[in-house]
Amino acid sequence: MMHSVDEDRDDSLRIIDCHCHIASEEHTPVSFIEASVTNMVAALSAQGLPAPGRKLTALFLSKMQDPLCDDLVEEMDESGISRSILLIPDFTYTLKDCRLTIEESFLRHREVMLRHPGKFEVFGGVDPRWGNDGIALFERSLAEFGFRGFKVYPPCGFSPSDPSLFPYYELCAQYCVPVLLHTGPTSPVLDFSVSRPFLIDEAARRFPTVNFILAHGAVSFVEECVMMCRFRPNVYLDISGYQATLGYAPSASAVRHIVSLGINHKVLFGTDFPVFRLQGDQKSFLEALTGEGGALSELSERERALVLHQNIERLLEATVSVTAR
Amino acid sequence: MEVEARIDEQIIDLIASGVSGKFRKVKITRQTNLQKELGLDSIGMLALVFRFEELFGIDIEKQGIDINIAKLKTVEDLIHAGRDIVSRATGAESRDA
Repeated sequence: MMHSVDEDRDDSLRIIDCHCHIASEEHTPVSFIEASVTNMVAALSAQGLPAPGRKLTALFLSKMQDPLCDDLVEEMDESGISRSILLIPDFTYTLKDCRLTIEESFLRHREVMLRHPGKFEVFGGVDPRWGNDGIALFERSLAEFGFRGFKVYPPCGFSPSDPSLFPYYELCAQYCVPVLLHTGPTSPVLDFSVSRPFLIDEAARRFPTVNFILAHGAVSFVEECVMMCRFRPNVYLDISGYQATLGYAPSASAVRHIVSLGINHKVLFGTDFPVFRLQGDQKSFLEALTGEGGALSELSERERALVLHQNIERLLEATVSVTAR
Repeated sequence: MEVEARIDEQIIDLIASGVSGKFRKVKITRQTNLQKELGLDSIGMLALVFRFEELFGIDIEKQGIDINIAKLKTVEDLIHAGRDIVSRATGAESRDA
């Protein structure tokens, strides 16, 4: 009898990364990366280091050459991550140097999903200003492509509770798929003012059957994220981006804090690959959580399993049962 | 061998100069983990690369050398990568001469 990797792995060790991206300029415009690099230039220049933005951008782009996710799968295998969720933020409306249309980006993600069976789920994102075409594309992604969620990127210039998103949330309710939205600052080329977690409140209240995941909840606006998780039954958070704190807190104290607050049924593991590839690999990032003295090491097996895979599995399971019907 | 030992020493000094705050108290050995024990994040690693280029007068990008920063986990890894870069750069120089 055949067993999947997931079935063979000890339940307490199974790991699903709920926040990844394809490492390719096809999906992340260079203007996004160049603007992000300006913060690095400022930090390095202050240390008296000659750090031209062009050189830093080139270094960063050298880590963005995995359009088919073969390297990512290798890193997942090395680190014990059995499945990852690929997110598609739609920059195509706001940033005009995108190489692909959003539809082409969806199709590439579908190719990757089919290339690595069982390894990836995809949450597609569409800027609500694309109108009916965008809504149709999103529905196609759920009905035809097998995508399992909706990715919202407010810093492109809209609130996550903007009424133009409601048709998308209605589809999420219909197909029983979760919404994952970016929170907190991002590339300086975008708008930070609509990145606060509380902005999801209206949508979460209007769509009580849709589950909303606040991305980077252990890093940005932590208190707001925790409040939302504690008091809105359909709001969760992911810890992706915790690597940004490892420089001053190598045992991931940001994550240690989040998992000590009694909301572990709402906390999801995520890495935000490939954002931190200049800092380390998936294995080293996981070790900061699950290794000796790591941020999750003091949790009970049951709680660790919730964070590492069971919470996201619960959110995804609803989709499977709807699709099966 | 003497040259390699000098390079090793320079790289260790370089690492020590990039460590800040509470991590300065850590005794640096070849087994020391760069992220976990010395608190080197993305910026810290990039600063190390640029300081290395400055110290040895090497432009890694121009030399066409691909360094996988993510795989540099310990001081030992960095020493090996540093030695490799210096030897490839000096090899290229002597070929060009």
